[in-house]
Amino acid sequence: MTPAVQIPIEKWTGKVREITLGATAADGGTRAKTVTVGGENTLPFLSFEGSIPHSPAVALEIQDHYPNDWSPLLKEYWGDLLRDPAAWARKAEEVGADIIVLKLISAHPEGDNTDAAHAAATVKAVLGATGLPLVVLGPGQADKDNEVLVAVAEAAKGERLALGNCEDKNYRTVVAAALAHGHLVVAKTPIDVNLAKQLNILITDMRLDLDRVLMDPTTGALGYGLEYSYSVMERLRIAALTGDSMTQQPLICTVGEEAWRAKESKVNTGVPAAWGDWKKRGIHWEVLTASTQLLAGANIVVLRHPDSVARIKQTIASLMAE
Amino acid sequence: MALSGLDIYKLLPKTNCKECGQPTCLAFAMKLAQKQAELSACPYVSEQSKAALAAASAPPIRLVAIGTGEKKVEVGNETVLFRHEKTFFHAPGIFVRLKDTLPAAEADALVEQLHNYGVERVGIKLHVHGVAIENASGDAAQFAARVAAMQGKTDLPLMLMAAGAAAMEAGLEKAAGAAPLIYSATAENWVEMAALASKYKAPLVVRAQGDLSALANLTEQIKAAGVEDMVLDPGVRTSHGTLVVLTQLRRLALKGGVRALGYPIVTFPGEDAESVEEEITRAAQHIAKYAGIIVLDHFEPANVYPLLTLRQNIYTDPQKPIQVSPGLYEISGPQPESPVLVTTNFSLTYFSVAGEVEGSGKPTWLLIVDSEGMSVLTGWAAGKFDAAKIAKSVNQFGVPGKINHKKLVIPGLVAGLSGELEEELPGWEIRVGPREAIDIPTYLKTWS
Amino acid sequence: MSRYIATRAIRGANTVVAEAEALLKAAIADLGPDTPVAFTNTAYFLPVNLAFMGRQIAKLSDMVPALEDAKRLLHPVPPENMWVPYLGETMDSGMATLLAEEIIEGIRFARGQEPQPITWDGTYIPTANFVTSDPMAKAGKRMNGPIDDIQLRAWGIQLVDGRMPGFAALIGCAKSTEVAVQIVRELQQRSILVFLSGSVNGRSIIHQLMEAGVEMGYDTYIIPFGTDTMATIYPLGFAARSALTFGGLKPGMPREILQYNRARVFAFAIALGEVDDLKYATAAGAINYGFPVVADTVIPQILPTGITPYEHVISMPFDDIEGKDDIERARKLVQRAIEVRGVKIKVTEVPIPVPYGSAFEGERVRKSDMRVEFGGKSSRCFEYLRMAPFDSIEDGKITVVGPDFDQIPPEGFMDMGIVVEVAGRKMQEDFEPVLERQIHYFVNGASGIQHIGQRDITWIRISKAAADKGFKLEHFGKILYARFHADFGAIVDKVQVTIYTDKAKMEEWLAKARQAYTHRNERLAGMTDDSVEEFFSCTLCQSFAPNHVCVISPERLGLCGAYNWLDCKASNQINPTGPNQPIKKGTCIDANFGVFEGVNSFVQQASHQAVQDVSMYSIMNNPMTACGCFECIAMVIPEANGVMVVSREDPSMTPAGMTFSTLAGVAGGGLQTAGVMGHGKYYLTSRKYLSSDGGFKRVVWMSSFLKESMKEEFKAVAEREGDPNLIEKIADERVATSVEQLLPFLEEKAHPALTMPPLF
Repeated sequence: MTPAVQIPIEKWTGKVREITLGATAADGGTRAKTVTVGGENTLPFLSFEGSIPHSPAVALEIQDHYPNDWSPLLKEYWGDLLRDPAAWARKAEEVGADIIVLKLISAHPEGDNTDAAHAAATVKAVLGATGLPLVVLGPGQADKDNEVLVAVAEAAKGERLALGNCEDKNYRTVVAAALAHGHLVVAKTPIDVNLAKQLNILITDMRLDLDRVLMDPTTGALGYGLEYSYSVMERLRIAALTGDSMTQQPLICTVGEEAWRAKESKVNTGVPAAWGDWKKRGIHWEVLTASTQLLAGANIVVLRHPDSVARIKQTIASLMAE
Repeated sequence: MALSGLDIYKLLPKTNCKECGQPTCLAFAMKLAQKQAELSACPYVSEQSKAALAAASAPPIRLVAIGTGEKKVEVGNETVLFRHEKTFFHAPGIFVRLKDTLPAAEADALVEQLHNYGVERVGIKLHVHGVAIENASGDAAQFAARVAAMQGKTDLPLMLMAAGAAAMEAGLEKAAGAAPLIYSATAENWVEMAALASKYKAPLVVRAQGDLSALANLTEQIKAAGVEDMVLDPGVRTSHGTLVVLTQLRRLALKGGVRALGYPIVTFPGEDAESVEEEITRAAQHIAKYAGIIVLDHFEPANVYPLLTLRQNIYTDPQKPIQVSPGLYEISGPQPESPVLVTTNFSLTYFSVAGEVEGSGKPTWLLIVDSEGMSVLTGWAAGKFDAAKIAKSVNQFGVPGKINHKKLVIPGLVAGLSGELEEELPGWEIRVGPREAIDIPTYLKTWS
Repeated sequence: MSRYIATRAIRGANTVVAEAEALLKAAIADLGPDTPVAFTNTAYFLPVNLAFMGRQIAKLSDMVPALEDAKRLLHPVPPENMWVPYLGETMDSGMATLLAEEIIEGIRFARGQEPQPITWDGTYIPTANFVTSDPMAKAGKRMNGPIDDIQLRAWGIQLVDGRMPGFAALIGCAKSTEVAVQIVRELQQRSILVFLSGSVNGRSIIHQLMEAGVEMGYDTYIIPFGTDTMATIYPLGFAARSALTFGGLKPGMPREILQYNRARVFAFAIALGEVDDLKYATAAGAINYGFPVVADTVIPQILPTGITPYEHVISMPFDDIEGKDDIERARKLVQRAIEVRGVKIKVTEVPIPVPYGSAFEGERVRKSDMRVEFGGKSSRCFEYLRMAPFDSIEDGKITVVGPDFDQIPPEGFMDMGIVVEVAGRKMQEDFEPVLERQIHYFVNGASGIQHIGQRDITWIRISKAAADKGFKLEHFGKILYARFHADFGAIVDKVQVTIYTDKAKMEEWLAKARQAYTHRNERLAGMTDDSVEEFFSCTLCQSFAPNHVCVISPERLGLCGAYNWLDCKASNQINPTGPNQPIKKGTCIDANFGVFEGVNSFVQQASHQAVQDVSMYSIMNNPMTACGCFECIAMVIPEANGVMVVSREDPSMTPAGMTFSTLAGVAGGGLQTAGVMGHGKYYLTSRKYLSSDGGFKRVVWMSSFLKESMKEEFKAVAEREGDPNLIEKIADERVATSVEQLLPFLEEKAHPALTMPPLF
């Protein structure tokens, strides 16, 4: 007889910061509910050796301009809602999202180049249409990001939005706007542990508290670099649990954006028969990218298709169920 | 404690005979230390050294082969908990369950589908790895008939699932010499099952319902009975439970040094799932977290292709970046007047650049230079992405024949190459593109 | 601390607190204790009292305890015969002054006297979102009063994100209207907010600007607060509110709020005209925040650093400022004030007539396209950067000494020297070579300019196209001025460039430069690992070799050859959170192997526990890991009892049985492999090269590329090792590409490694 097997227990010294998105009326906002993520002191879902106070959250991405380049599968589902961010947000809430991620794509200088007032009005409209917490992302062009996010921060004072993206070359204005109006920020870095840490240090340096910073380590879609972001996230999470303070931010992953850009989910012409049914494959592409990132430590996954939302919510529930 | 290359070198013959395929004994020793070579490759190593080295190099998780021949599935031999620590070595085998109650025609059709399923992705052929035949009928003859029916239809490795030893033997007889995976030995039947495993030289799944001590106990007894090639089924089926127990098993084997649990693991993602979709998500979990064999209950290309892609991703060696084949890629149907962009063949570089070019909608030629899988800056620093190499690729892949201009766009990060490149490619205009892929669409808009 | 200033500030504080007390008493009597007190359009009550004392003053009676706070901070005026350090007393008095001044302004608000009415010709309308029910304010007949909260956040964002460098409080009255306008323009040009208050003999800079027709308001960044000193409280309240809004600080945290301002709010005061007691007292209040004061009159100076990051009080009597006219004097006054506060100026554009950007870095200028060249075969060219005393150079000054190139025939040549002088509070002489090497990159960024080499082998070509567009020699200066500020602003505050083409001057400076090069070489050679306390890390390559950490010491440069110890030191100054971090050596665990406690613990953490111990000087025992960027790979050749060194340039087979690229797989990836090591070329010449394994004498084989390209250096190494023929005893790929060929060669040459103690 061998002696009974001793289950090894990891004693981690660090924990992920707990971050709350959104503010209810009691806290100066208008959200019907808030979402708190983070707080775990163990690896994803391994609750036998630590505590995981909050489930990962599922967000749906919406845009303030008709997304011409989106997969027909997405366009087919959302239909005309794609032309009305407020209605789109309302529907996103209905289909089970915990958080709305609003991308102000129309402000892009090469697109409609809409102005700060337009951005503020869009955010107001979306806030009016949903009671969920909001993440607001600029169009991804530094000057315009700064212009519109400052206006958004002011218009939505007290709502505890998450504003993004802060990147290493352009973070100061967004951080300052968050400081001025009590919001959070999303710090995005390109699949690299040290750059992620460095940006967090720079943001802290501007005196934004770390319980107001989400980290976006950049997502690689299934088949398109997923393994890189997976390992960087595992490394970040292990660093966080071993006590490295600058890596203890909850992780937000832009899964939908990446997964629906893949050829596998975007198109159905000229592809091998072995890829199988387009719609099933497309949803799997988003779901598997998301579920794998969750295993690596994602605290918020941002999706685009409601079917994926349902599946990922079920996945999270069964991974959390002891 | 792992031995260093220098330690190992001391135990080698130091003759530099080269018969191991390495140029010197020291080079061989270093390969051994990195577990990139097998000691058996050295014909002259002394018995004494062999013993000393074997003890140091015995893998904590046994490598188990299922099936024979080209398609055999080898799993186990993992050395880390997280792929970034080194790499995951043996990707899990994806098996599909076939019940012997399925009408023969349907079953044959399924087998044919499984056998023929294959698709290439980044230069690697993806396919299904095996068939798990289950004795659902409870009838030994029907089971044996089903196993027999596989003959000539497929050379995919088999897993035989039967509760009773009699049925199992009936099946094994029909798969003699094919080393199928036997499912399974339990506390109740292990003696008979172990005997069958020995007799048919087949690997054996050992199952104990949710109790790792019992499982370890069982593998020790079976090992004592002479069976070495085992696969574990810890019996847990829930999503959370599987994650926990597979993590614990991997830790016990690697960090706890529990040899009795140092075997690959088989999982059944469909058994507790409410839908096929859920089965797929769970299978994905098992790929990332520690399964050796995954038995699916359903087969459909749209379900399996994403899983095989994930399997390929997770088992990529993080230190040997995936490379895409060098060449001239066409994006959005480029014409002779379309721009030519050049970058390296590091897969992530390629994906980011190709993705942005595609997103821009501008028809473009993308010239991929063989930088041995390095990104632009690294490749440049290492001399794998320099003017000479770019110029060579321009000609090698026939760029001049495809276009009616002589303009080449290089990544902004290597702007410094432009002058040199103009010398290498006389008559060409070298343009400097953006530093980051994300700025490519803007750049292409102004390209003329 | 100047006794004079202390005396006057303490006296001023006592006076103003007494005045506040009298005014408060009268106001309570006239209006009643419950009369509301509020600054307009702000939720921060009276912000200075709120921030520092945590008091929410909402009505007159709330001011009674607030005034007690101020009184507790008062000190008696020092008697004539007493000489003690007054710093604490003066600072307390300054704080008491601010509290009292704000109370007085609050009382005036309660009486409807604030914002101050404009009683002379001129109007001022603050901003579109200024809300008031006061008809006078609506008519533009009042000053600004406190900055409203919306504007605070809008400007605050720009101050915090760095788009606005800071704010200047101008107090009093300038020498003339012309000077007043010039000062304001100088500040405006630099996007510095201008806050106006105070007067001298009834005349204020606000009067001066209104007379000159200067537009004032939020949109022009010029805010008039009031014509008395008291109104200076508004800018200081603005600073206090910034700390509450952007610093995450709470009311009643005086120390933190002051520190926040000292570290982050780049503000300063310029006292124009005579300084009275109240101005001294208010200035003392500003110094509490770390804001320095520059006066344009004769007052005692407080130079040493302490409360403010640099000097506290500077006196620059206006008429004594060197300059051809008042305009230039005004410019210099502002320049000095900016320097004293350490406000960093951003230069975003390189003002030259040709396109500029990194895209042009690799351009070549062929002989036939060339307008003129400096250096190369036919002429001499050098570049030299040196650190200069702070006050000895003028920022942005660019001088060409001698003729430009317009007299040179096309495709001709001429001699030139570029001398860059920099000053900065964080500048060190050791950074000179690091900065000097940047000249190459900076100059190359200009379209149509080609730069090769460095020091006195610099070779620059200007293309015909660039010359046609108007590129002149002075533009080298403009490029360097802009880029040094933009890229090295962290260590450089002032940049002055002089370009010499005059033969005598050029030669004079060439001699100076050569002297400096020699001096630097000697300094570098003399720098040893033992002589420093800190090494530096480099984790730049962790993006692809996640567990690799380079440890860079004076005697062991980075394995890529790109970073030596000084580079890392400078890089750390410029980017303190970047990949080059100082590593305290700590206790030396083994001097022979080069094992240091500090290095080990840093590497353990930065390699994520993958590497536990590092020997700095050994290939045999825990050698340093490598990313993959190494210039050379050393590998043990057991049969020869030595090591071989192959360079990246050498594609041949080596006695290790592997080529460079195959070996790279063994040496790289951040794995510690005893017997193999990647390193920089110049490490070969270090005294610490494999010193614990026997040093350079262990090298039995070395790529001919190395032997040829570093001939002189190796000659010196051979001398040092006491074997002048050592290099000839080392084999290379021309004589041996296998161990079998190597050994007879070594025997024949009697290589010292053969008789050295066994490697292992």
